[in-house]
Amino acid sequence: MSLLNVTNIHASVIAEDGPQPILKGLTLDINPGEVHAIMGPNGSGKSTLANVLSGRPGYAVNAGSATLDGADLLELEPFERAQLGLFLAFQYPVEIPGVSNMEFLKASMDSLARARGEEQPNTAAFMKRVRELAASLDLDPAFLKRGVNEGFSGGEKKRNEIMQLLLLDPKVAVLDETDSGLDIDALQTVAAGVNRYRSESNGVILITHYQRLLDYIVPDFVHVLSNGNIVQSGDKTLALELEAKGYSWLT
Amino acid sequence: MADLSLPKTIDPPTWLGSLEGATAEQISSALAHALNSTAHRERWKYTKPEPILAAVADPAIAPVIHGAEQPGVMVTQEPLDQALPGTDVKQGPEALARLCYAEQVWVIKVTGHLALPLHVHHDGNTMPVLIQLAANTSLTLLEVAANSNPMQQTVWIDVGENAELKHSRNALDDCERHWQYLNVRLQPSARYCLNNHVSGSKLRRQDIHLILDGEGSEATLVSAGRVGRQGALDQQVTVEHRRPRGSSQQTVHNIVADGGKCTFNGRIHIHEGAAGTDAQLSNKNLGMGEHATINTKPELEIYTDDVSCSHGATVGTISQEALFYLMSRGVAPDMAEALLSQGFLRQCIDGPLAETALESLIGGAMSA
Repeated sequence: MSLLNVTNIHASVIAEDGPQPILKGLTLDINPGEVHAIMGPNGSGKSTLANVLSGRPGYAVNAGSATLDGADLLELEPFERAQLGLFLAFQYPVEIPGVSNMEFLKASMDSLARARGEEQPNTAAFMKRVRELAASLDLDPAFLKRGVNEGFSGGEKKRNEIMQLLLLDPKVAVLDETDSGLDIDALQTVAAGVNRYRSESNGVILITHYQRLLDYIVPDFVHVLSNGNIVQSGDKTLALELEAKGYSWLT
Repeated sequence: MADLSLPKTIDPPTWLGSLEGATAEQISSALAHALNSTAHRERWKYTKPEPILAAVADPAIAPVIHGAEQPGVMVTQEPLDQALPGTDVKQGPEALARLCYAEQVWVIKVTGHLALPLHVHHDGNTMPVLIQLAANTSLTLLEVAANSNPMQQTVWIDVGENAELKHSRNALDDCERHWQYLNVRLQPSARYCLNNHVSGSKLRRQDIHLILDGEGSEATLVSAGRVGRQGALDQQVTVEHRRPRGSSQQTVHNIVADGGKCTFNGRIHIHEGAAGTDAQLSNKNLGMGEHATINTKPELEIYTDDVSCSHGATVGTISQEALFYLMSRGVAPDMAEALLSQGFLRQCIDGPLAETALESLIGGAMSA
């Protein structure tokens, strides 16, 4: 059985002048251990896919199904999807002044542990683990005392997302343009973090505009999204072809 | 609207007569006029003034003061026979009346750099307190009002040239009726910072009047308030820039539960000649239900050019983006809302009384 199964999803974004159809029958199957890169021109529906899977308000699913480990994702609230093992690395991580990173991470870990009937992590051990993770991603541990993403540079915000990925260790991670706005050093750090996360038991959806990221995170599959559907799938060589030829030959 | 009046006739101290150049009758008349002026009525638009006014002549007890044994400070209880620099009939008629009724005031004179904080504890209606910092001195003042019975306090502070006062104030108990009046005058290059932590109560009113009366003086006000379901909080802040190159910053965050009521009025008055003034005011309010009532009004009066001045007030609910971010990490909506509202208040909780305030306004929270 696949880890994440998306079948024939039709979804709209709720706009002021009514729902705008974005995804038009998208189907995607992710098995344990696989990394799927999703590329495509602006407006093709890449971020909508991430948002629909994670349950962000403002989207409506009109048809189709999405399951994680066999459980119906679309029936669940966003926090329940996370508790089930879904993780979204945000394209634009939110700043939350007044809530420290450490407090936020503890609330998250405790919530996941409670939902899974596991013991909540020991506070001291937890804090030590978080500090180690931060250091491994070149994040100054002092940032843990600051408000969530407050005053962070673009690169720090993205590294914070990857730190959360490593800490929460979800079954499926959806990375929405995690490479955007990163310089080459930060890109390598982020990619190394994702590669540390990869295992035989989890899966990754890697949404990106650029082939560059795929030099560091080698995908098992590359899909091209256009006008709300996957129009081409292949292995990593497809990304190189896209880089050379653009999208026009496919769309 | 019935006229507001004082509960009994006043016998103004002689210094007041000389300050105002007026007889007792004229001062009584000026107070009556000030109480019923349009500007003053506006300051009491959302809170009934009568219960507070009726109590201004009530008998007062002594505040409890700790830390007076150290060198550089002297505390005495004495009749009020000297002029208070910040008195202003128009701005605070009730406070001035309270001074007139008080036979004694507590005078705290600071003549050095105090090594330890000074604690002033109010356990009810306390006598007026006058704090004077001589030039080039410093003080950390911790002020706590804690009682469930009706309370009122009037505190007058004069910060001397190049002196520094760090003032932390907590009013966190649920109280039948509580009025706090605070008047601070800053002399040249004086620095004053108030960390104010407050909860709503059946009736709680805070009047704060900061007067930057010396060139290059600095005032900072940071306040966090939480108003519960049946609670009320009314904060009236006036910052007067009277001299050049003063700077003031106000950051006030209030969170109001469904059914609670919160009023904030922040007035910045920049006098003619106060060139180079830098005055900032930010008031943010979070309403936690359809029946939370929030009144906020930032006011600017500027009579000089060459000033930098900004003010802003927001009334809103919890950010849906932030809520989704927390939920996407597995945090249930009620807990996510709690975290966000706590974070909103925590931004304005600081200073030596922060721990108690955090515990009271937010509840135990893990620190990094």
